[in-house]
Amino acid sequence: MRNSIKYSLLCVLVVGSALLMNFDARAAEGESTASTNQLARGAKAWSDNCGQCHNARDPGDQSDQQWDVVVAHMRIRANLTGEEARDILNFLQASN
Amino acid sequence: MLLTGYATAEYVDPAHDSGYFGASFNPIFLYKYRDLVLGEGELEVEIDDTGDTSVALEYGTIDLLLNDSLVLLAGKFLSPLGQFRQNLHPSWINKLPSAPVGFGEDGAAPDAEIGIQARGGIALGGGRFGYSAYVGNGPRLAVENGEIEGIDSEGYAGNDDGESVVGGRLSFAPLPKLQLGLSGATGKVAITETGGGPVLDDPSRNYDVFGLDASYQVAGFDLRGEYIQQKVGNATGSIVPEGGKWDTWYAQGSYKFGSAKWEGVVRYGDFNSPHPEQSQKQLAIGVNYLLAPQAMVKVGFEVNDGLSGEPTDANRLLVQVAYGF
Repeated sequence: MRNSIKYSLLCVLVVGSALLMNFDARAAEGESTASTNQLARGAKAWSDNCGQCHNARDPGDQSDQQWDVVVAHMRIRANLTGEEARDILNFLQASN
Repeated sequence: MLLTGYATAEYVDPAHDSGYFGASFNPIFLYKYRDLVLGEGELEVEIDDTGDTSVALEYGTIDLLLNDSLVLLAGKFLSPLGQFRQNLHPSWINKLPSAPVGFGEDGAAPDAEIGIQARGGIALGGGRFGYSAYVGNGPRLAVENGEIEGIDSEGYAGNDDGESVVGGRLSFAPLPKLQLGLSGATGKVAITETGGGPVLDDPSRNYDVFGLDASYQVAGFDLRGEYIQQKVGNATGSIVPEGGKWDTWYAQGSYKFGSAKWEGVVRYGDFNSPHPEQSQKQLAIGVNYLLAPQAMVKVGFEVNDGLSGEPTDANRLLVQVAYGF
């Protein structure tokens, strides 16, 4: 009886861990896909919008924190949506 | 917090007059608190022809980032009417060493405003709709020799005439790299002083602004154009009853070549004023060498057509070094 409880607990742990690992893997895959999509959106928004007024600057010229402030400034100047600004920021921070 | 901005050094050589060097320095201060508030301020530090240094607040605003589509600005802001004044005038962005005719002080395009402004962008289908709407103190009228010489729109903290101006700009980007804009403002303005001193109780008159702008980047070309007019109405009983209209437009094309290190620019502009000595047509051509995207040496030549004998009629050679940092 005690052994069957032990095996049952072990099975629950193994299956649960497998499920959690699978869930984590799928979540990570989902996050990765979302991140890739956001990067692609950010690259396109950066290319489409920033060059409308000025030469595009090298993403490596600024740190993550500096881009955070610059993009907030440019969001207002260029009438970007908040989502576009986040996408561009994500792209610049990933590219510097 | 971020300290950014731009610096400019130039040499201007007008025909039939002495050439001179000039310099200016424009630090921009940005302070962001989370994704809620941005404080922005730009100073223009400039040396004039007497050697004195002037410091002016180009803009200084507190921006509340309310949601994805709405930002509320309060303070002194660059005029959101048209594109050049608010986005293109910094020397490292402007592709020629000078502003288009009528886009300088006392021209046809408003400079700045003190008040509040709502602006933002809204995704619309595959494009984006942008908007700016403001209310502010409005301009002042420059009166000389019994005439309205110009409309001072640099942004005044006082409001001597007690009148306000409302305005804004709508923009639409139907395609990537294409933007179309429509601007307008309306209100009242009254003469409050002349060169001889303050003026009391001069009747108010209409003040209206209308503008159109477009820009498109395609196949390595940067194409843009803008039209804007400022108009003040007549005012019966005023010390200067007659109003006037100042309008201007320009079209500009540029192209990068030589691994994007070189850039050629052509611009044509036509500024019309009620005063012939102010009106000017201008063809400007330029070649830029880009040391970096934000640092360049610009050489430009202006063929100017104004009233004979006036500075507006003198051709000019301009060499400028611009650095955005």
